[in-house]
Amino acid sequence: MSDAIAKKTPKAASSHGNLAIAESGWVRYLLIGTTLAFLAFFLLVPLAAVFAQAFDKGLGVYFSSIVESNSLAAIRLTLFVAAIVVPLNTLFGVAAAWAISKFEFWGKSLLITLIDLPYSVSPVISGLVFVMLFGRQGWLGPTLDEYDIRLIFTVSGVVLATLFVTFPFVARELIPLMQSQGSEEEEAARVLGAGGWKIFWRVTLPNIKWGLLYGVILCNARAMGEFGAVSVVSGHIRGQTITMPLQVQIYYDEYNATAAFALASLLAGLAIVTLILKTLLEWKVADHKTAEAQAYIGD
Amino acid sequence: MSIEALNISKSFGDFCALDDVSLAVKSGELVALLGPSGSGKTTLLRIIAGLEQPDRGSGPIRFHEEDVALRRVGDREVGFVFQHYALFRHMTVFENVAFGLRVRPKNSRPSKATINHRVRQLLELVQLDTMATRYPHQLSGGQRQRVALARALAIEPKVLLLDEPFGALDAKVRQELRRWLRRLHDEIHVTSVFVTHDQEEALELADRVVVMNEGRIEQIGPPDEVFHNPKTEFVMNFLGQVNFFGGRVEGGKVHFSTVAYDVPAHAQMQDQPVKVFVRPHEFDVSTHADGHAALRATVSRIHSAGPNARLQLIAESGESLSVELPQERFRELNIHPGGQVYLTPRDVKVFVADYVI
Repeated sequence: MSDAIAKKTPKAASSHGNLAIAESGWVRYLLIGTTLAFLAFFLLVPLAAVFAQAFDKGLGVYFSSIVESNSLAAIRLTLFVAAIVVPLNTLFGVAAAWAISKFEFWGKSLLITLIDLPYSVSPVISGLVFVMLFGRQGWLGPTLDEYDIRLIFTVSGVVLATLFVTFPFVARELIPLMQSQGSEEEEAARVLGAGGWKIFWRVTLPNIKWGLLYGVILCNARAMGEFGAVSVVSGHIRGQTITMPLQVQIYYDEYNATAAFALASLLAGLAIVTLILKTLLEWKVADHKTAEAQAYIGD
Repeated sequence: MSIEALNISKSFGDFCALDDVSLAVKSGELVALLGPSGSGKTTLLRIIAGLEQPDRGSGPIRFHEEDVALRRVGDREVGFVFQHYALFRHMTVFENVAFGLRVRPKNSRPSKATINHRVRQLLELVQLDTMATRYPHQLSGGQRQRVALARALAIEPKVLLLDEPFGALDAKVRQELRRWLRRLHDEIHVTSVFVTHDQEEALELADRVVVMNEGRIEQIGPPDEVFHNPKTEFVMNFLGQVNFFGGRVEGGKVHFSTVAYDVPAHAQMQDQPVKVFVRPHEFDVSTHADGHAALRATVSRIHSAGPNARLQLIAESGESLSVELPQERFRELNIHPGGQVYLTPRDVKVFVADYVI
């Protein structure tokens, strides 16, 4: 029996070996140059500007603008909202991806379309829809009023709007992954006597963990950075319903550029950390996929 | 542990995968479900395992006289080997094999030491004891197959079910594994059913072969019997190559092309149109007409690489034929493309043509 081990290098067929699709030198440099110039002008320069502005008046002013009570309240609220929204949407995303990839049911394609809805609707409009539904003058407003529930212009409203805007991230990441993995491993576990929970924790979750983490990180970044929908439903009550992006806007409107940029630098920092994590995870996921492909092809 | 599945039907939407199929497997037997794709063989296997539910109105599924139809998959104590193995990709070989024991409820879970011991034993049995710490993607196809088998055996299943166990392997590994599986079965004697579309595999490996077609069982019998005495046209056609002739039965003889052949089994038929099948190796070939009636044919192609020489011929009556003969006989006859030969069938199979259009 052949005991040779399948350990082929995945990158053996490299991208620059194919002459048929190779462009002449100057085309390549022009394209690469344009892209880099574009990136520098529209991404790196503004990013640098944010930090430059934030530290414009020195470290002391930078830190004092961050520990200023309005800033702290905004940071606290943003973390609070993310702490509720991210776990909920993780749960929802896993459940939706599980349902969509492992079962056949009526209305499945509609569900897939609905999951994408927050992607395709402008966040401001989502916010307005919430106001229309739950606001004092909204469709459900009077009913909610009867039970003394207030959603619009409260923290609950901010959570709700953020929940809506960020709900595709985890599901979208997991659906293709779980679809490509199929359900044979779960079936195998079932035959071996494992119950639903054990199958999920021991078979499904380990298989999707990198994709899941990736989705969670994107979801978190968006939850913390969301402006449009939150701006509409928050009502801008100082110290209560102002998240970090809203607070940045307020500082800016008050001509307090240093404070605005100081707070903005935190969000920009979050973005950079997210990007780095995302890249690391992409490598991890790609490795995982290569291994899977090898497992499938065999030798 | 015997298996009995009675009057099983299963449809997927409009497609009828199984149509009132009954199957009985004796304790310790190794049975092959053989058929083309879409014949329902995998569906039957999955129903026995409990991975699919039969349609309402189907009969019982019994393991050792005990009805398990209402039992969930995990409680049926079956070992199932999946076509693409379905190994847990994030677990080592050892963890894969141990899985079935580790997920048992606390009160029936063996101790850690017992699990270790048992897994080691199984890995030795499938000759993978040196691979315990590898991951599935680091193994060859044949090795993965054996891990899947060890994993299935770990729970000490009452029956072992294998879905196209060698389907994803190349020809050489496939043959080795096939023999190895037979030896293994003779050693551990667990009642086993495997699905295959490869007739050679079924005939070589199984104690009995179940030939399936379009959701029904065509014939059940030992390999010898299904090969030499096919009950239906389909079985004749599916198990190896055939030459087909239109013919008539008259007075205990079947007349086809330019020959007649005694068929005592059909003695009472009068002028009945029939289908006549002759296997390629069941022709005597000679270069002279030596008195008795023979099929005259022209050689069109010769493939002589292999244990037997294979000839493609055109019969005088127009049928294109294929004939196999031993290499020595082939050399003795000194046949060349374009040459004339005389064929005498040694054995023919006759099936009454049905008039259903």
